[in-house]
Amino acid sequence: MAPEDAARSSGLGQRLRMNLAAVYARASVRVKASFRERSWLLGETLFPFLAMSAFVLVYRGLRAPREYEGFVVLGGAMIAYWNNVIWGMASQFFWEREQGQLQLYLITPVSRMSILLGMALGGMAMTTTRAAAILTGGILLFHVSLPLERALPAFGLFLLTLGAAYSLGMILSSLFLLWGREVWHTATILQEPVYLLSGFYFPVSAMGVGIAIVGSILPVTLGLDGIRQVFYGPAAHGLLPVRWIPPIQIALTAIFLFVSAVSLRYMENLGKQEGRLTVRGD
Amino acid sequence: MIVGPVKRLAQVLRTSAWLGWQVEANWAEPWIFLMYAIAKPLATTLILFFMVRVVSQGHANAETFRFIFIGNTFFLYVTEVLIGISWTVFRDREDYETLKYIYVAPVRLLPYLLGRAFTRVATATLGVLVALLFGRLVLGLTIGVPGTNWLLVVGAVLLGLLGVLWLGIILAGISLVVARHSMNLNEGLSGLFFLLCGAIFPLDVLPRWALHLSLLLPFTYWLELLRRMLTGRGFAASLGRYGDGDLWWILALATVGLCALALVWFRGCERIARERGLIDWKTNY
Repeated sequence: MAPEDAARSSGLGQRLRMNLAAVYARASVRVKASFRERSWLLGETLFPFLAMSAFVLVYRGLRAPREYEGFVVLGGAMIAYWNNVIWGMASQFFWEREQGQLQLYLITPVSRMSILLGMALGGMAMTTTRAAAILTGGILLFHVSLPLERALPAFGLFLLTLGAAYSLGMILSSLFLLWGREVWHTATILQEPVYLLSGFYFPVSAMGVGIAIVGSILPVTLGLDGIRQVFYGPAAHGLLPVRWIPPIQIALTAIFLFVSAVSLRYMENLGKQEGRLTVRGD
Repeated sequence: MIVGPVKRLAQVLRTSAWLGWQVEANWAEPWIFLMYAIAKPLATTLILFFMVRVVSQGHANAETFRFIFIGNTFFLYVTEVLIGISWTVFRDREDYETLKYIYVAPVRLLPYLLGRAFTRVATATLGVLVALLFGRLVLGLTIGVPGTNWLLVVGAVLLGLLGVLWLGIILAGISLVVARHSMNLNEGLSGLFFLLCGAIFPLDVLPRWALHLSLLLPFTYWLELLRRMLTGRGFAASLGRYGDGDLWWILALATVGLCALALVWFRGCERIARERGLIDWKTNY
């Protein structure tokens, strides 16, 4: 190997190591923080379970078939991840800027995408405790049936869904980068209306094919629809045949990742030109 | 002699309400802000609408949805106002770092917080009104019966709202002495009330122990009273033994009790916060 090739290769290796270290560091902060703060752990597990329980009891009050309670429990677990995408990914750079940390990220020699990837992986790990509490509570307290023999394909679809959802979070993160207090309100508006559009508490097909297709731009919509179909078959009133969903999620992930990289670069440059990357209390 | 303090109180309430409005709403044009304010209640209404619709094969009907709709719509006051007041403490203390300046100004914290809550009350009221109109005009629900006394409905809403405000002050007191991330406990409390007071399902499907807890909450009686006034009959069989007058009394006594408790509790929390130097605490790590 020529000396310049060796130097290039070593430089590439060093960059890769540095970026992987950044991913690990950003992810580990989230994981450690979520277990260090007991009130968070309580707030992230017990309380979302209470809200989900209210919707289970709606179906129970309506004397709906039992699988509908399963729809709510699965939706409740998925809401945990969606909320993490909104509050832990999309609006994170806003919080970092408010705390004066954004500029520290920007002067480090690592890719912003590595920081976002670290946030995503840490966020997924952190949220899994919450989702697990919702699923376990749903199964134990409400006796919701989840056929475990179908858990493996459902888990595969779930992982693909998380990939696409957090990639969307990366796009939103770059869009939110320059915003002020509207971040707060926009994040809020991405909650209940998305719960509706994505059919978190009922089969999305109930809203009609047109609206359901629009809702499918959000990866959680199709992901949840597919997971329900895997567990409950035709009773899930699926929107699309389940075999279509994995390739769609993979395509969405690829598109969202590409768009997020472009968008992040653009918004960062715009922020630098307008001097808004260090503005606080906006 | 009383005019001076009352005038001063009104001035503080008015000014802090104006400040609250600026903090909450001046980031956008008013119509955009209003769109944001009504998105949540409309979305929740539609979620419940579709939930009822998908299982309506002979079990649920429009009447059932009407009860769910009314409970969910008025519960918006609880989520918005309850969380809003305690959130003000965290935002002022840690984000804007202005809470300490309230203490060096000639105003008391309690009326300041009540004034700040006005914006939340206003946005919640708007959300409730839009949701009611949506239910009436789009979903075709009948809101009110021939015998409905609308003045009494407004009175019942205000009485319940007073209870929510005082409970919000109790939570604000707690917020003064705890770290910012305890906010999720306040949000969780709102979720707990949502579950226990049967906002979106009949109380009778709750397990027995939860039903006992539910009967300790003033909001349980508040929602039942509103449902009776707007539909002409009750929703929860567990409250069937109470007449409308009983519900009024329970609600009024609970509100007075909450008010007394809130005044004592908040004063105690404020004293602890000042003794421990927590007024300019920053826990946003």
